[in-house]
Amino acid sequence: MIKFQNVTKSFGDVSALSSINFEVDDGEFVFIAGPSGSGKTTLLRLLTRELTPEVGQIFVDKQDISSLTKKEVPFFRQRIGVVFQDFKVLSERTVRENVEVALAVIKTPEDRWQKDIDEVLKKVGLTSRSEMFPSQLSGGELQRVSLARALVVNPKIIIADEPTGNLDWDTAKEIMNIFERINNDGKTVFVASHHEDIIKGMAKRTIRLKDGKVVSDTKSKKIK
Amino acid sequence: MSIHFKTAFSSIRRSPFQAFAAVGVLAVTFFVASILTTLLYSSDKLLRYFETRPQVIAFLKEDIPLSDVSSLQGRLEGDIRVKDVKYVSKEEALLIYKEATTDNPLLSELVTPSIFPASLEFSLTDLKYANDIIGEVKSESTVDQVGFTANLGGEATLSDTVERLKTITEYVRIGGSIFVGILFATSFLVLFVIISMRLTSRRGEIEILSLIGATSSFIRSPILIEAMSYVVLGVSLGWMLSFISVLYLSPSLISYFNQIVILPKTITGLLALFGVIYAAEILIASLLALVGGSIAVSRSLKKR
Repeated sequence: MIKFQNVTKSFGDVSALSSINFEVDDGEFVFIAGPSGSGKTTLLRLLTRELTPEVGQIFVDKQDISSLTKKEVPFFRQRIGVVFQDFKVLSERTVRENVEVALAVIKTPEDRWQKDIDEVLKKVGLTSRSEMFPSQLSGGELQRVSLARALVVNPKIIIADEPTGNLDWDTAKEIMNIFERINNDGKTVFVASHHEDIIKGMAKRTIRLKDGKVVSDTKSKKIK
Repeated sequence: MSIHFKTAFSSIRRSPFQAFAAVGVLAVTFFVASILTTLLYSSDKLLRYFETRPQVIAFLKEDIPLSDVSSLQGRLEGDIRVKDVKYVSKEEALLIYKEATTDNPLLSELVTPSIFPASLEFSLTDLKYANDIIGEVKSESTVDQVGFTANLGGEATLSDTVERLKTITEYVRIGGSIFVGILFATSFLVLFVIISMRLTSRRGEIEILSLIGATSSFIRSPILIEAMSYVVLGVSLGWMLSFISVLYLSPSLISYFNQIVILPKTITGLLALFGVIYAAEILIASLLALVGGSIAVSRSLKKR
């Protein structure tokens, strides 16, 4: 479903990613791990088509996304769900309105919004916070809003960039449990993280990067 | 309510002073535009009145047979360049003179119909025919002299009168167009700057929308709705002020110009005139908003 084929990306003289090759099947849960500056975020930004590679191709559902035109990019992004480390919630809108925006973007009929939003808020445990503004929520709750917004469009792929980076351990575990449930529903989950405890605790396929290169691609054992 | 309308109105609520500035500038622009349009309408009516209304008077020679007069009258009536041909007898000419000198009865006491020539009075359908017609009528054997009644003050000929009116109308048209053009440009810039400021303050939101797959038109819609709201409010306010001003002034103007209809005399007529002005202004202002908004959004999206 997702395929990186000999992907290279650099910023000026700095090589961010070099000859990256891997494939991810439908319904897989994959961690992209590595220290800061290893190229995790660049890899995810290539996958969300914020960046394009200098060399190589990236396939999502057999479509080469690096060749998409500017006008095609939004329609590609509508098919994926993205969760950000800094949440990227709309501060002037309530939790419900933040999720509504995603439905409006994909042109879901308004009569379906209430039901879809109620379902997704229940899934991430935010039902009681639906009319609150972001300034009234904790970090974990903001990440749930970001997740709810990504999930409500029912994407086949969820991409998360350091979703636990700004959260305490307990909250991070709760968020990762939600990701696991989403994965169990059949969605492909792609998470960039440097949180080794989280990665080891979940025992999922892990692609490790160092200095822009894949150094390992393994399935780790779950540590209780 | 659509999510775009919600976004637009919440943006207006968040920065009310920018909204007031935009609406204020647009209101002043379209107030002046409405007044100038009304002025152009009135000056056009005035010009048309003088172009078509002037009475050419063909003074007839003494003692010519009535059949010759009828023959000339018939020819003039059949001429498409001429309208409202009327025969004025010596007796009628005396009555006209008496009416004109009612303030000083002494002037009319000693006069008799015999000293006044009979005449044929008529109007022209268009002033461009004036010189030809006057020349043709002058050459008639039954006609003694030809004169005209239109005069704004000191003009020697009918053409001079209309030329002077045309010049005044042209000045109003050119001066008004330049002034309105400057105001339109100012309105455009104000809209453009305010929309750009809005986009800057919404940069984070636009980035998020873009990342979740919002198309350019989705991002552009609330901005354009906001710009259109300023336009509708500004134009309506300016138009309403100008309508009230003209409504207030029209009785005096109509009375001053008397039989020259420079403005519709009924409320319905005035409303119809201002309805057309309003529709045109909304159309022009919408174009300003759409073009200004689209350029600002495109620049902002390109920068990202």
